[in-house]
Amino acid sequence: MATNDAGRAQIADFNQTSRPEGAFVLLLLQSIFWAVAGLSALPFGLAGELHMAALGLVTLMFALVTCLVGIGVLWRRRWARRVAMTLEVLCVIGSALQLLFPIGANRGPVALLVDVALPVAVVCLLWGKKTRSLFS
Amino acid sequence: MYNINPEHAIGLIGGFVALIIALATLRLHPRWRSVPGTVRAASVLMVVTAGVHLALIPHHLAHEPLTSLLFLLNGAAFIALAVAFTWRHWRLVAAGLLVATVLGYLLYVGIGLEGPDQVGIATKLIEVTALGLALVPVRGEPRRTHRSWRWAGLGVAMPLLIVMTGATVWIVDLARPDARHVHAGALLQSTNTVPTPAQVDAASRLYHETKAAIQPYEDWHLAWAAGYRPGNSTNMPSTHWMNQRYVDAGYVMDPKRPQGLVYANTHHGPVLLGAMFQMKGINQFGPDPGGPLTAWHQHENICITPFGFEFSLMTPFGNCALGAIDISVSPMLHVWIVDNPQGGPFAVDIAPSVVAALDRT
Repeated sequence: MATNDAGRAQIADFNQTSRPEGAFVLLLLQSIFWAVAGLSALPFGLAGELHMAALGLVTLMFALVTCLVGIGVLWRRRWARRVAMTLEVLCVIGSALQLLFPIGANRGPVALLVDVALPVAVVCLLWGKKTRSLFS
Repeated sequence: MYNINPEHAIGLIGGFVALIIALATLRLHPRWRSVPGTVRAASVLMVVTAGVHLALIPHHLAHEPLTSLLFLLNGAAFIALAVAFTWRHWRLVAAGLLVATVLGYLLYVGIGLEGPDQVGIATKLIEVTALGLALVPVRGEPRRTHRSWRWAGLGVAMPLLIVMTGATVWIVDLARPDARHVHAGALLQSTNTVPTPAQVDAASRLYHETKAAIQPYEDWHLAWAAGYRPGNSTNMPSTHWMNQRYVDAGYVMDPKRPQGLVYANTHHGPVLLGAMFQMKGINQFGPDPGGPLTAWHQHENICITPFGFEFSLMTPFGNCALGAIDISVSPMLHVWIVDNPQGGPFAVDIAPSVVAALDRT
């Protein structure tokens, strides 16, 4: 009986601790998407769109920051959890505004997965008192 | 790549149904709670991708039996792996199958057996996510096997597969656009294929009326006085000057009041290239007197930034650079009053050589 209890406790702890790893995978994925967006904006600088090229560089930096935040989450850093959740909430708000306003934004499954489902999933993974207690 | 192939829409339904089934049934596995949440999530995602592939079999069965067979084998393998998550070699085999499935899709798209669409790209994103979740080492794992290899696999495979998928889909989409996509982001109005004599006359009439009406604007000062303003950067070879009053009024293909003028930015000042009519609402194509000669076009999925009103293209993953937003621009029709050897007087674009030649003169 005692062994079963210990086993259950170990399993419960084990289940809880895989949340940061799941969030890390999603943040890594998001940082790759940002990197692709940044790289794709750079060639427009060659055509004279200097602001777009600058935004491309900013986006690449942002991709790097997202990746570092992901590593911070993996290492259970409290600041990383806070930054990740803030970042994802902002992403969801921005995406919701873009999708709700009649500006012809793409509402396909890919955009919904990347811009809505992914940030929501990260927030869900990092949400809650139990998860927060994992972060030092 | 930004649209759903109607024949593939069933795949989305299949994936959604598979998700519900996976969430309801996989938890009944006796050892479901004995593996990390990342492994369980990867199993669920593998069932989803299996659902997409299996749902696509009926459509491909008649014309592509080999593809149908591959879908069947792929779907069955993913379902088998999804329930075999306690197997010792699970990670290795799951990672191998996921990588092979993504590469197989890219091969199919690359050689033209499949057109890139939202269902395909979304499924690949799910597979890459499943790959990451299957490989990521978890703190406190009972069996700490091959952690360094798994980290290496995760760090290399995920970025590489995403970049390869994006690049392949983008290149194929640009190199082999469908009949209604004349260049990146521009969707042509649907028309008849060969213009009738009446349509040729109507197009000619529209051209001459527009040319006569905008001739005064060859002096850009008059255009400025009429309310036209540069709509995007003047550092580029050409600039659209827009008249917001005419845009708001919603005049429909009125030669005397075109919503925009296009100027070449030459070293001796702006040179008038033509006019641009624009409809007020997205997806509302205007009247088409010249049939295929005067087909309107709508720019879709472009990323626009308020900084200098510059644009870029949305990635296949639905992202724009930070500070840019994804929009579609309502349908437009250009009337080029200078000779445009590539496409004629109503083409979507003016040939770059024409603009360059004007700059040299």
